[in-house]
Amino acid sequence: MSSLVLDALVALPALGALLAAAVPASGHRLVWFSLGLSTVVLGLSIGAWVAVVDSGPGFHFESDASWIEPIGVRWTLGLDSLSAPLVVVTALLSWCCLVSLVRRAPDCGGSRQLAALVLLIEAGSIGTFVALDLIVFFVFFELVLIPMWFVIADWGDSHDAEGRRRAATRFLVVTVVGSALVLVAFLLLRSETGSFDLTVVADRVRRIDHGRQVAIAALLLVGFGAKVPVWPLHFWLPDAHSKAPTVGSVLLAGVLLKLGTYGLLRFWYDVVPAGALEVAPYLGGLGVVGIVYGALACLAQPDLKRMVAYSSIGHMGFVALAISTMTPQGLLAANFANVAHGAITGLLFFLVGGLKDRLGGTTFDTIGRGLYGRAPRLAALFAVAAMASLGLPGLAGFWGEMLTMLAAFSPNPALPQTTYLVLMALAGLGVVLTTGYFVVAVRRICQGVGPGDSLSDVASDEWLAWAPLVLVTVGLGVAPMAMLWSADGGASLVSAVLSR
Amino acid sequence: MTALLVVALPLLGAAVALVGGHRRRLVAPAAACVSCGAAWVCSLLVAAAHLGDAAPAVVGPYVIGTGGIPLQASLYVDQLSASMLLLATTVAVLVQIYSVAYLRGDPRYPSYAALVSIFTASMALVVVADDLFVLLVGWEAMGACSYFLISHHWELEEARAGAVKAFVMTRLGDVGLLFGIFVAGDAAGSYRITDVVQAASSGGIGRTQATAATLLLLCGIVGKSAQFPLHSWLPDAMPGPTPISALIHAATMVAAGVYLLARLLPLFMLSATTMTVLAVIAAVTMLGGALMALAADDLKRVLAWSTVSQLAYMFAALSIGGYSAGVLHLLSHGAFKALLFLAAGSVIHAVGSQRLDSMGGLRSSMPVTFATMTVGFAALAGLPPFVGFFSKDAVLGVAGEAAFHGDAQARAWLVLVVGLVVEVLTAAYATRAWLMMFFGRRRSDVARAEPHESPWFMSGPLLVLAILSTLGGVAVVRPGFLGVAPEPFHAATALVSLLAVAVGVAFSASEWWRLDGHDPSRRLGPLRPALAAELGYDRALMSAVLSPVRVAMRTVVASESDVVEPYARGVGTGASWANRFLRWLHNGDLQRYVTAIVFGAVAVAVVVGIVQ
Repeated sequence: MSSLVLDALVALPALGALLAAAVPASGHRLVWFSLGLSTVVLGLSIGAWVAVVDSGPGFHFESDASWIEPIGVRWTLGLDSLSAPLVVVTALLSWCCLVSLVRRAPDCGGSRQLAALVLLIEAGSIGTFVALDLIVFFVFFELVLIPMWFVIADWGDSHDAEGRRRAATRFLVVTVVGSALVLVAFLLLRSETGSFDLTVVADRVRRIDHGRQVAIAALLLVGFGAKVPVWPLHFWLPDAHSKAPTVGSVLLAGVLLKLGTYGLLRFWYDVVPAGALEVAPYLGGLGVVGIVYGALACLAQPDLKRMVAYSSIGHMGFVALAISTMTPQGLLAANFANVAHGAITGLLFFLVGGLKDRLGGTTFDTIGRGLYGRAPRLAALFAVAAMASLGLPGLAGFWGEMLTMLAAFSPNPALPQTTYLVLMALAGLGVVLTTGYFVVAVRRICQGVGPGDSLSDVASDEWLAWAPLVLVTVGLGVAPMAMLWSADGGASLVSAVLSR
Repeated sequence: MTALLVVALPLLGAAVALVGGHRRRLVAPAAACVSCGAAWVCSLLVAAAHLGDAAPAVVGPYVIGTGGIPLQASLYVDQLSASMLLLATTVAVLVQIYSVAYLRGDPRYPSYAALVSIFTASMALVVVADDLFVLLVGWEAMGACSYFLISHHWELEEARAGAVKAFVMTRLGDVGLLFGIFVAGDAAGSYRITDVVQAASSGGIGRTQATAATLLLLCGIVGKSAQFPLHSWLPDAMPGPTPISALIHAATMVAAGVYLLARLLPLFMLSATTMTVLAVIAAVTMLGGALMALAADDLKRVLAWSTVSQLAYMFAALSIGGYSAGVLHLLSHGAFKALLFLAAGSVIHAVGSQRLDSMGGLRSSMPVTFATMTVGFAALAGLPPFVGFFSKDAVLGVAGEAAFHGDAQARAWLVLVVGLVVEVLTAAYATRAWLMMFFGRRRSDVARAEPHESPWFMSGPLLVLAILSTLGGVAVVRPGFLGVAPEPFHAATALVSLLAVAVGVAFSASEWWRLDGHDPSRRLGPLRPALAAELGYDRALMSAVLSPVRVAMRTVVASESDVVEPYARGVGTGASWANRFLRWLHNGDLQRYVTAIVFGAVAVAVVVGIVQ
């Protein structure tokens, strides 16, 4: 099944970005244009996901063309039930970001450049998710960093030009170092298997010496781990989030972090499972440290945006634990938690951004108390998002975390079972701590007696931008089968790989 | 399918109340009362179909793959779920009607009514769910609703703190519950309750697995039903509106723990260890709760501690395998405790204070409340012919049987002896509260105005519950509706417990007389202040839990600023050339970056080549 669907998913936003950056028209009109384009991409991606779910395991919509012939790099794209939901989340979050830009120009202006960068991030991320060639994957993986650097460095916190530059650079340096390790792993794979093609590499990888496989898995762990971020490589994240503009934070948490977890899922499960089994417990351990550490850091945060950023470390810790179990269940859990975190944390960052627009800052003192009275709908949305993020059953966050702990309860038989029981119990402790800091945050900003000012409640364009995320959060919580069923194809694919 | 409607209709009502409640004044109360009323009618239909000898009905399963043992979304309705549905919806609809008057003019009423409806739907989901994870959804949704409802008056510090405590504490237990579900499902090969129970009764689950699973499940049950050591959230949840307390204490939330234990009783019976732990927890909780209730100054706290203590009765019955006794006391307590809380709300509404010493002499000004609350206290104390007498007799009778003839005699003796002591205490604190509220002098210096009888929207539900508490004894004596054989009336234990009740009543009444209308608990002497301070348990627990968390928190903050930050800065300085390079890129064009990537890739490739 060859088609141009995936090429279109990558090319449309990329071309749109070029147009929006190059055409001399009014900024406002170009934001509308970008929004229209991303609506098309969103529709197309949802259609592709549905088609992938219908057609079962394996890659679909494959597209194959020669690219850099001399070193054997081919332009091969494909979509399976592991990548399809992530493509949809990327398209959805980009759409939400563009909606939020239509009426609200950034402080420093330049909304059309910002829209172009959002589209570029969308193109690069979708490209990473659908690439089936290691070099194509790597190029897209790197490509996303540049627009994100600009978004943070130029549209970030307007009060702190030096700080936002530093945060952007720190983010860039850490992830580029990580990707260098990923590249080394890819080149090792190429030298061992003679191909950059993902499926070919996966087929031939059994011939590789076991030690090499472990080395490759370890390189991938550190390389992608910097992106996820796995503790202790997380240090770039809180700064990047606290300095980034709202759209930057939403895309960073909702999409960019997923590039790391997707990379681990794709390459550990599909390509070097035997090597990954040797290093998986380390990932699980670091993930759990991240869960507890992130939660404790959240409890101590005086700033709401930083708190949400640290909460991401905890949530990605769950994804890391799920990946490290090396079971189909772990893959499903990681995939579910990825999507749920994208929607929930995206929503939280939008809400924090809404508060920042209204009050000029995001520290608890700036926000003040009593939001239930000052802006009831905004506060209610925050409370719902907090409930979702702390893993309340019936909302999306729960299933990812529950399935993660369930996967840790019965990890791959080759892994140390008792270790994973301990990891599961510690993750459970993390759930309680997470509950603690979210209800403390709700108590701090939503409840209590406020300063008596009356804030403007949720505006219509904000409803439009946020509502899809609320719907996804509630919908996936009430009907988790939407994700579990579609990812089953991926699970059967992975179990085949893991069992051989 | 009717059972599904009991879940769906309140949710629909909640949606209507939330969307339309702020536009029109009548939308929210109408949506709340009608939807809960319709759910009540549906549960009557379910009860008609499933009480008695009827075979259980199963809806589903809808299988959801998880990569391992699948989730099987399904509903299961039998006598137990049908009677629980009936109790929950009856109390819910009465609470909704009552709240229309109680929260009259409250701008937060629409969201309040919606949350009560969601609460009801969640409880309904818990009792009809057949899959443990579906049950967990309802279980925790209830926790979230109670969190929001306890903090209804979010401008009050104690309401905020109580809500946080209730949520975090129950969720701590729920983590145990989740792990217990893992173990139980793993042992039985399915997460369906019917499959787990089937495996447990047919010997498909080993003793060790059963002990592990049930001890973990017990964490969640103890948390939800406010048993020692996770009991202290319940008295602190009292700043919530009083009708909410009725809902939480009588028919939902705390009842869910007892329900789950009753539902999984065959699994729990496999583990003598767990049952012994349960019996000890129940004994400690019922004694402690009754003592606290005897000394508490706040009417709602008296009732809250009494709930803690009465729930322990149910657990005590279940711990010796008394299924029908435990469930019957749950149903009976649901009726009279809802009555007591709603009546207390009526009094608080009239007096404007929750403190017992600001009440007094209310019997003439609030005749309906006086009469109905008298019924409630009589049922609580275990006076015949009210429902509490019969259900407590069932519990103590089972304990007596087991103590003299059973095989778990130590457990049964513990339950029997402590149960009888608590009978005395219960009668004493019920009499004390009753006397202090309705007799003696009116304390007009504290009360805000002349107390008056509540409107019919409030006293109507009281009358309904009073009738149920009076006539419910018939159902307890003939529990054929639960599909179990009727309990023989235990004449010997009934006689002893009547004696115990008489001692308790006599203590409070004589002290009241002797102290000329002052608090009879003064008689406790130096014990009283300690009990009123609740033995300092809560403060000790909080500091024991919170101080390590604070230390860990400080360590994390320190490590972020002293360890992580320097190495991050090191990365920054070490790569300051990168910064400059990027500024150069920023001014330049895309070509420069592409060139840089290519050069970088080549350099890494060279390095790899050298390494190899």
